[in-house]
This record gives sequence, C-alpha cells and structure tokens, in this order.
Amino acid sequence: MSIKLLPTNKSGRLSSRLSNWLLGISLLVVTLGQPRLATAHPMPNSVVLLNVHVNRIDAELQIPLVELQSAWGHAVNDSSVGLVERLGPQLRDYLKSHIRPQSPDGRFWSVSVGELTAHESQNPITGVYRELTAQVQLVPPAGSDVRQFTFQYDAVLHQVMTHKILVSVRQDWECGQLAETEPVQVGEISLDIVNNRILPLPVNLASGSFWTGFMAMIKLGTQHIAEGTDHLLFLLVLLLPAPLVVVGQRWGQFGGVRYSLKRLLLIVTAFTIGHSITLLAGSIGWVRLASQPVEILIVVSILVSAIHAVRPVFFGREAWVAAGFGLVHGLAFASTLANLQLDAGPMALSILGFNLGIELMQLTIILVVIPWLMLLSRTPVYTVVRRSGAFLSGIAALGWLAERISGQPNLLTEAIEVIASYAPYGLIILALLSLYLTWRARPAKPLPTA
Amino acid sequence: MKRKNISILLLLLLGFGNLFEGCKSSDVDATNSTSTSTGTSTGTTTGSTTSNSSSITTALSVTGTTTTCNSTGVAQIVCLAEAFKATLSSTQLAATQLTYSKTNAQKWSNLPAGMSARIGINLGSLSDTQLAAFRNLMVAVLTLGTTDEGYDEMIGNLVADDYLNSIGGGSTYGAGNYYISFLGTPSTSSLWAILFTGHHYTQPITFNAGAVTGVTPAFRGTEPQAAVTAASRTYQAFEQERVAFAAMLTGLSTTEQTTAKLSGSYNDLVLGPGQDGKFPATKSGLQVGTLSSDKQALVLKAIKLYVNDLDATTSAAILTKYTSELANTYISYSGTTAMSSQGDYVRVDGPSVWIEFSYQGGVIIKNTPHSHSVWRDHSGDYGGN
Repeated sequence: MSIKLLPTNKSGRLSSRLSNWLLGISLLVVTLGQPRLATAHPMPNSVVLLNVHVNRIDAELQIPLVELQSAWGHAVNDSSVGLVERLGPQLRDYLKSHIRPQSPDGRFWSVSVGELTAHESQNPITGVYRELTAQVQLVPPAGSDVRQFTFQYDAVLHQVMTHKILVSVRQDWECGQLAETEPVQVGEISLDIVNNRILPLPVNLASGSFWTGFMAMIKLGTQHIAEGTDHLLFLLVLLLPAPLVVVGQRWGQFGGVRYSLKRLLLIVTAFTIGHSITLLAGSIGWVRLASQPVEILIVVSILVSAIHAVRPVFFGREAWVAAGFGLVHGLAFASTLANLQLDAGPMALSILGFNLGIELMQLTIILVVIPWLMLLSRTPVYTVVRRSGAFLSGIAALGWLAERISGQPNLLTEAIEVIASYAPYGLIILALLSLYLTWRARPAKPLPTA
Repeated sequence: MKRKNISILLLLLLGFGNLFEGCKSSDVDATNSTSTSTGTSTGTTTGSTTSNSSSITTALSVTGTTTTCNSTGVAQIVCLAEAFKATLSSTQLAATQLTYSKTNAQKWSNLPAGMSARIGINLGSLSDTQLAAFRNLMVAVLTLGTTDEGYDEMIGNLVADDYLNSIGGGSTYGAGNYYISFLGTPSTSSLWAILFTGHHYTQPITFNAGAVTGVTPAFRGTEPQAAVTAASRTYQAFEQERVAFAAMLTGLSTTEQTTAKLSGSYNDLVLGPGQDGKFPATKSGLQVGTLSSDKQALVLKAIKLYVNDLDATTSAAILTKYTSELANTYISYSGTTAMSSQGDYVRVDGPSVWIEFSYQGGVIIKNTPHSHSVWRDHSGDYGGN
C-alpha cells in the first residue's frame, strides 16, 4: 500500500477532503505494522485513482519515477528536472499504449492523457521519492457502461515484473462516495508469478443512483457546517445580540419573542441567500477567488460580528451584513464542490444537496442554541454572556487570522479545536443557566391556600 | 454543535508540515541523484562505515562455549531452547512460546519490525543472561566460526541494522528489533519451529519428530552493503553472496548469458514475504546441466553460501539434495552480470532450491544499492507445512 501526499491543487482551505487525507496518512504513519503493510514491498507502487462520472472516468495515475525508469529506459528519475517539458509527448504516448480499458463486448475505451506533473512523494517504507502524476480520461464507447470494464493497465509492469499497481475508486458520486473519504481499493494489478503473465483487472462497480449521490451531498453539507467552527462562530456571534433592542448607542433589553424571532429569521435568511448565491456561482465556476483571501474575509466577518455584539455598529442593517458575509462564506463552500469536478447533472443536484445539508445543520444549531439565548436575554446576566461570547470569539478570530495569513497553525487555533469539542457540554451549561435564571426571575407566586 | 474529534485534529496538525512538503509540485534537482542504472560496474562495493555496536551485538558476539546440553542434534537444540526459555520471565515466555500455525510461521517480512509487526520477543528486551542463552541456541542451529557466514553473518546483519539506526534510520532499525519465537513447544517428537526474524534477516527452522524438516523461507540482505565495523570487528555480512553471483554470471559465455537473461526487469524479489507457494510453473533461463563442470561449481558455490549457514548436519543433508538436482536447476538474471548496480537481479530455480538475489535502491542510504535475497524450497518451506 502506497501512501500519498496529495498535492492540493485548488483549495488551500483545510477542507475535510484534505484533512481526511492527512488523517489517513497520519494514521498509516502512526499505525505502521498493520496487516496490509505486513508484507509490503519496499519499492513504491503505482496508484490509480478513479473518479467515476456518469459517462466517463477521470483517473489519476501516480507512478514512481524510479520504477518508470526501469520500465521505460529514459532517465526519468535520474534527471527529473523539466521532465514533462522534455518528454511530455513521449510520456503521453507511452501511457496511452499501456492503458486500455475494455467493455464486456470487447470494444476498447478511448483514453486521453491530460496534465502531467513530476513531484516528490513519500511513503513510510521508502521515504521520499519522485513520482509522475498523470490525469487520464477514460471514456467508454457509446452505449457502454462506465461501471463495468476490464482494466488492461500495465504501465511499468509490462517490463518491471516486481511492480504493483493499486487501483482504487476515489470518487463515485452515484454511489455516495466522495473524494472526501479514503479511496476504496478495487484491486491490484501485478504479475501472476506462477504463470508468468499479467492479467487485466476486472472492474465491476456497484451501480449507484442520483438519489445516493444527492443524499451523500446533503451529508457532506451538514458535515461541512458541523466541522466548520468558523462558519458556526460567525453565525452565533451575529445572532448573539439579535433578541435585543438598541437604546441610544448601546444594546438594551430583550425586545420580545416576536421581535427576536423576526430578527433571527431575517439574519439567517439573508446569510442563506448570500452563501447560496456564491455557492452556486462558485461551484459552476463563474466566480473563482483564491482561497486565502476568502478564508481571511471569513475571519473578518467574525471580528465584525463580535464588535457588533459588544456595541451595535450596524443595527438595523444586520440582514445586509449577513447577506454580504454570506457571499464570502459561500465561496468557501463552493471550493469544496468545485473540487469534486462533477458533470452538470450531478453538480446541480450536488449544489442543491450540499446547500440543503448546510441549511439543515444551521437550522439544527439555531434550534438548539437560540431558545436559551432568548431566555437568557431576558435576564441581567445576558450582558455578561453577550460580551464574553463576543470577546472570546474575537480572540478566536485573531488566532485564525494569524493562522490564515501565516499558513501555520498556532496555539490559539489548536486550543479552539480542543474547546470546540466540548461545545455540547457548553450548550448544556447554557441551557441549565438560562433555565435556572429564568426560574429565579419568575414573579413569585402566592402560596396555595390550605 | 457536533462533537469534533480531537485526535483527528492533532493528527492533522502533525501532518501539517508534511502537507506543505507534499504540495511542492516542482521537479526535483537531478544533481541530487547519481546515476546508478547505467555504466559499467566494477563489481565491488566501496566504502566502509563504523557503527557504534549496541550492547546486544556485543553480548551476542562473545564466544563462549555451551556448558549445558551435551546431547547432540535436535535433542541438543531442544535442550538449548528450554535453557533459553528458563531464563525468561513468565510474561516474556508468554510472548516467546507460541502455538505452531502456518499463520504464525508466515509472520516474517523484509521490512523493519516497526513497519511490519513480528511475533515473539525482541532482543532489545532481553538481559545479557537471556541474550547469552539465545546465543547458545542460535550457535547450535547456525554454523560457527566462518567469517560473514552462518552465525557470524547473523551478527553482521544486526550490526548493519544498528548502523542504520545510528545514521538516522530511526528506532525501528537496530538489533533490538529482531524477534525470536518458538512456534509449538520444542521437543524431539512433535512439530515446532524456531523463528528468528527482523529487518534484513529471517531464519526459520522447522522440526518434526526429532528431525529438521525445513529451514526456509530464509531472508538475507543488508544495508549498507559495504563493510560495517563494530566492537573491533568488520562485518560485510552479505557481500560474499553478491560476489559469488557475479562470479557465476560473469563466468558464463556470451551465449549462455543471453539464454540466462530474463526479458523483464526486477527491482525486488518476486517471492518475498507473503508470496508463499507461488513458484513459477515454468523455469526461466539457463539450465545448469548444460554447463561445464567448473561453471556448475560456481552455481553450487553460490547455493552453498546459503545452505552452509546452517549447522553442519542440516546443511549437509540439504546440500546433497540440491547437488543431486543441480543439472535440472536453472539460473537467470536481469540487469548486469556484475550484480553491482541497482536493478541487478539473479535467480536460482531448481527442483527444490529457489534463491533470488536483488540488488536494489537504497532506502536509508540513498543512491547506494543494497541487497535483498530470499532462499526458499519448492517443497520444504515451513517444513512442508
């Protein structure tokens, strides 16, 4: 099993895709000696990662250059500088002649080799090594099923008998498998030692459906919010002063249930509209912003909301601010979707499903937090709660700001993640506190007469 | 709020440094590597290195005589195994004395133990007394008194691994990471095995009904291939085998070499760990029976460097068999005949014997090839079980 560090091509945000990879890698590094590594070979393997679409497969090939050199003759490993510039066309021809998927009826698929990159990779057994990554598109002939084929693949292996090729599905939207999770291995292509031959790998992917894909996207949306501490914090801080009226230049008393709900609804809806617009635009590719400024703007949105929670700086215009920052948050969501590189149909469903998931999770959070905030906001303690909440969020935002500018995590951001894991307990304390204070503040009832 | 997994985050942060490493998509400076796949070879390994010998190899190197167990053959080995077991605490004994099963017997690898878990007890956890008892046992099953062969080869292998540890290979390397276990209870009547396995050295010995029934699959190799000095001894544990194969191949005529040459390339062993019972149905290469007697002797010489690692009685029996089958044994190779470049590979495939030698890329010492080799027996692996 070869362990790879994926180059992050699109999003710099530590999206869950990346974190899952990192998790996978770290786990593998930490738990070396697990069964599948038990008899692993020291030579790095080739890896083929399949992204299954409705009518094509986008494959990413990872080929160790030291092995490719043995197979191909060219000094690709000894002299890997400018490799793609120097040998690009020959490399493409070589790969094309060794990748021949075939439908059950015998017809061969069309294969086109796209982007090639040479870079460093590493696994715990061989350490750092150089590898070639190739993006290859596999298209079955008309009327042929994309999910069933004989994978005739023998790049490197046609010559290097000790080579191994691990084939995995990285993304299969219709089966609800997204690139967020660890690839699922479908097989290994290697020499049949006894008979001295290389057998093609039969690939039979379980048939999926748009419904499965849609549901997976809803799940992804909820996960994205649940794990997106920054998104949540922005929303919570923005909602913190929402039940209150303004007196002069300061936050005043609880404005009543009707008043609070109206304002909460307005803010949440405005935020939703904002992020839905950019999520749509970003996923389709109309808008593409570098991730770092987006990430920094998200932090700014928390800071601004925190200030507002202390002193009303944009009272009455919360909806516009929420919508504006919604646009920013939507861009961050969009990068997750854009990375899936889906076709139009699945993409439309994905945008819908992903957004639905986001809304569901937001709604859940609001439903479990807002009642207590509204109860508390009727008590004098709320000023302390509001100000501490705003202050702590501001500190967290500053920590993230430093992280996102420098690209390095710091003690503060590490602490946030630890604290965030205790959030459910915080919620219980909040609930108990609000219930206790509400109970204490209730008008004294006359004693029942005997 | 959904509870977040802290461990995920910590792992994520740990992996952060690697992330940026992995994001570099630029080409790598070619000057970092020296070409090892082309050019004429000299047939020698160069350089010598010095290892700070671990206390383990120092303890094991002591040449003392066995005062106990005056019996001979398997009875003596059983006695020495019991003597070793007697030095162990109950916890240590529980780790060492296991049941015989093919699954247990197959738990060997050519990876450091930290990357591929072994069974048994590691030398690093043994006291000097216990190591002495272990030494007495291994001295009885391996040949003693030949430089870089038999027991000496085993020590040299551990010394080389200590060296990898000392030059930054990490704690997974070193003599302390070699494991000894008994599969089945040592006896002169039943089925049991000694399994000694670590990074570049695995030697199983299977016994049944008072006889040795198998000494394979045995793994040999070394990194560095060059000499390593420890405790005022210089070891080059697995160099003679490499030289013997080079002599065997360069001794062939051009025509014979052409016949022996495999069409494929081999960057590692074909029948390494986990590849049990997969001997090719058809033998490749050059039939030894077609060669002149002096060339056949070169083949036998290479085979002897494996077989003669074992104690005299065991090795004599195996060698008689392999010699009788020599005419029907095939030799083949890939890469160069000098066995001095990365990618050089040689195979001996007989009716019984199977030996592969692969000279492959460096792992800890980059750009410097090192050897992997496996000795198997078509019917005798794991004692035929």
